[in-house]
Amino acid sequence: MVLLAGLLSACQQEPPPPPPVPNGYGATERAFVELAIATDEQALKLVELGGDPALIENRRTELTELRKLLDAPYVNHHAGHDMPGMPTDAEIALASTSPDALKQFVHAHLTESLEVLRSAGAAITHPPTADVVELMERHRTTELGAG
Amino acid sequence: MRKPVLHFSAIIGLIAAALSIPVAAQGEPVRVAEFLAECPISHRLPDDPIVLPNLAGASHSHDFFGNHSTNARSTTPQSLEGQTGNCNPVADISSYWVPTLYRNNTAIAPTGVTFYYLGEGVNNPAAIQPTPYGLKIVAGNAKATGDHDSIARWSCLHAGHVNPSKNFVVCPAGTMLETYLDFPQCWDGRNLDSADHRSHMSYPVAGGCPSSHPVSVPKLRMVLRYPVNGSTAGLRLSSGTGQTMHGDFFNVWPRAEMERRVRNCINVVMKCDHAGNHG
Repeated sequence: MVLLAGLLSACQQEPPPPPPVPNGYGATERAFVELAIATDEQALKLVELGGDPALIENRRTELTELRKLLDAPYVNHHAGHDMPGMPTDAEIALASTSPDALKQFVHAHLTESLEVLRSAGAAITHPPTADVVELMERHRTTELGAG
Repeated sequence: MRKPVLHFSAIIGLIAAALSIPVAAQGEPVRVAEFLAECPISHRLPDDPIVLPNLAGASHSHDFFGNHSTNARSTTPQSLEGQTGNCNPVADISSYWVPTLYRNNTAIAPTGVTFYYLGEGVNNPAAIQPTPYGLKIVAGNAKATGDHDSIARWSCLHAGHVNPSKNFVVCPAGTMLETYLDFPQCWDGRNLDSADHRSHMSYPVAGGCPSSHPVSVPKLRMVLRYPVNGSTAGLRLSSGTGQTMHGDFFNVWPRAEMERRVRNCINVVMKCDHAGNHG
């Protein structure tokens, strides 16, 4: 066992990195898609409180497009976390009783998630994922202009 | 969503306390396989280079320790090489990070941050190998929903009578809230990371590493002390309750420094100082 561990360690301390797949669906794309689904699912609960049909429709469309990109069963890694652009359950509960809070949280969702999307746009090279990033950016830019 | 963030100078201003280190009973020889690095908070960012690689600003807030340069793009050891950190010893330019602790919307930086590398948990410390260069390890469960799926441990420094808990505990005046987190110490021998960031590592079973993860590496134990006591009202992590405490480690110890410490401290079961020496 000692010998085995020693050999493994000696031989494999520097395993070659996996061959990069140019413009493939890689770790950054996977992380983005899972994050964006978690964010949009929470955001949908928030915007449904306000009843703006465009906001609701845009989040639903995004969720459909994001789920098409998944290459494995979806796991929500961010539930309950305080993520940029992702309304928390407490914020959604507060928004359900206060129109002012709702307006503020919808605005925060849009501006913060737009920042995340701009960051993702600079990092993502997989064309189908980049297309969804672009769609989401376009949605938020329009929504902020309308609000 | 976004909460107010402490200015960096305020964070530095909070860094003060020295750490106490477990001391053996008087007269007994210290036979603990251990070396350590103390690394105060370096910076705070909404980044996570392991879970959200290259996605700057996309994470919940993290407190980063050690390497000063760590950000969302720190995905390879080469990205951290040649940079400086704030660990004692300075040789350790690894990066470590945890979710930010808040009281209501005020961030609270830990004032004591120690990373112990230990030979415990396996029956044969002589077989422990140096932690592979570039290895990424995640410990704790950021998605914990209660005690049942959490390995967090919260207690009070200088108040041993307060029972540890998986969630925040009320620490008496004059004491500090502290948290311990043990990282998995059995490596699969092949992968420096995995898709779920966990599968390449495992905890030992019955004093040994399982055949799926046969390579035993030093057990990393993170100990954080926060300048917090009294009521737990308003306390939260950026990942949720105290039960969601988690830690990330990206090993960039220079190989020779790591190897020397494993040989001098871990394999021979000796308690070493910051320089990796023992008396």
